[in-house]
Amino acid sequence: MAAKPGSVPTTYPPNPGPKTRPPIFKDNDLDWVRPDGRGFHQCRPAFFRTGAVNSASGSAYAEFGNTKVIVSVFGPRESKKAMMYSDTGRLNCNVSYTTFATPVRGQGSDHKEFSSMLHKSLEGAIMLETFPKTTVDVFALVLESGGSDLPVVISCASLALADAGIMMYDLVAAVSVSCLGKNLVIDPILEEESYQDGSLMLTCMPSRYEVTQLTFTGEWSTPDINEAMQLCLDACDKLGKVMRSCLKEAASASQE
Amino acid sequence: MGLPNAIGDLSTEVEVEAFRRLFPLRFYEKHLSESIRPDARPLGRARDTTIALGAVASANGSALAKIGSTTMLAAIKMEVMTPSMETPDEGCIAIDFHMPPICSPIVRPGRPAEAAPVVSKQLSDTILSSGMINLKELSLVSGKAAWMAYLDIYCLDADGALFDTALLSAVAAFSHLDIPEVSLNDDGKIVLLSEEQEGMSDRESVNKEKRKVTLSSVPFSLTCILHKNYILADPTAEEESIMETLVTVVLDSSSQLVSLYKPGGPVLAYTSAIQDCIALTRQRAKELQKILDEAISGMEVD
Repeated sequence: MAAKPGSVPTTYPPNPGPKTRPPIFKDNDLDWVRPDGRGFHQCRPAFFRTGAVNSASGSAYAEFGNTKVIVSVFGPRESKKAMMYSDTGRLNCNVSYTTFATPVRGQGSDHKEFSSMLHKSLEGAIMLETFPKTTVDVFALVLESGGSDLPVVISCASLALADAGIMMYDLVAAVSVSCLGKNLVIDPILEEESYQDGSLMLTCMPSRYEVTQLTFTGEWSTPDINEAMQLCLDACDKLGKVMRSCLKEAASASQE
Repeated sequence: MGLPNAIGDLSTEVEVEAFRRLFPLRFYEKHLSESIRPDARPLGRARDTTIALGAVASANGSALAKIGSTTMLAAIKMEVMTPSMETPDEGCIAIDFHMPPICSPIVRPGRPAEAAPVVSKQLSDTILSSGMINLKELSLVSGKAAWMAYLDIYCLDADGALFDTALLSAVAAFSHLDIPEVSLNDDGKIVLLSEEQEGMSDRESVNKEKRKVTLSSVPFSLTCILHKNYILADPTAEEESIMETLVTVVLDSSSQLVSLYKPGGPVLAYTSAIQDCIALTRQRAKELQKILDEAISGMEVD
């Protein structure tokens, strides 16, 4: 803490604890509506913009409701000295949060799990052999966490890679589905994620119809998994179109 | 020495972009002698500046400031603390400046930028010593509870004049700060007085009158580069890397000097140069005050 090192007293946020909050969804409550009024199978409006950071080779900003992320891509540039020689290029990913991203003030540290998930979802889509011996760095910063953070980071990162001119087989679009009781809700917000029974995230290359990553956690029945996967694939297809139109807009704007 | 001549001959032959990379200092000096900079600015002019208030919904106050392409996001989160024995009715402000790896090719994860702790210290010195915030306003219950304002500033894009942009975003975040209404519960803890509970709870708000902080004298800053006899206001990252003598002047709204930094550098600053820097800053502070006022009045319309 910059103000007075060592003398900073312990602090607490004035929000009431989670136990005073009523659960947003009860088992037999069929008339339940989502906190932001969306349908169960309706995604939040997606906003993408490339070229957010001038000092990077490529960058993109994404905003889905309250989830706001920036991804910068640097390189291809020299790999770290300690790295072994490699015929194919390397991909290095890092995801971090700002201290004010979450409702309770965090430490703003790196998110190791998301970093490795981001790496695994992207590496299959990038033509690594086009930049041998070098590294492409993909750095993401979550400015505000509003739920479905990782899928937004992944979609935004693939746009930033495209903006940097890194060769890819296709854009990577990512969508997650939460299982709340008997309902499947797509693109969950933070509140829904905190009450979910299970979650599924699918990342895919929409025009090739190929899945690069599929994770699910929690309680799922087989028909639910099938339904959720189909929901995700359809949503990724639509998201891919939005991302593609963002790139086209940026390209036509730079031509003028 | 035959070298300068050789370079002079070369400059007519090689392309501009190549010359800029090979002989950056000569490239700049050629511009400076014509009283212009490569980005078409006169020497004393700062880049376009914008402020957007309320960029982060999860914070109590936030602002995004841009000077040229240098971008800073500042956000304030309010938490409750027990004030120290010496100052029972004063709150506290903790200021931290971050340079995440997204902002510049120089910063890598796990290896923080050298500039970050320097700017962080400068910011807290400036903000705390300028007397902009009266810490007594952050008191809730004397001796029991007071606000701790966590101000975190993130550099999203680094292109020179980091301190100026960071200070501007910090000031703007404080002007946007909306302190939540709270009350003291039975356990002696401070809790949020949310709208739905207001009707049924008989608890009283402890800070009904203190929902905004008064900014008494707002500090504004301008960084200048000294190179030979030239003074370049609001440098870009490229300019900062080529000409290394920087002077940062901070003035408050009544043009009083708050602080002055000249962290070394090969050029010695004479009194006249310092006075010129202060004059430029005085002009710039007026500009910034206007931009800030416009941003605030823009918020009130919405």
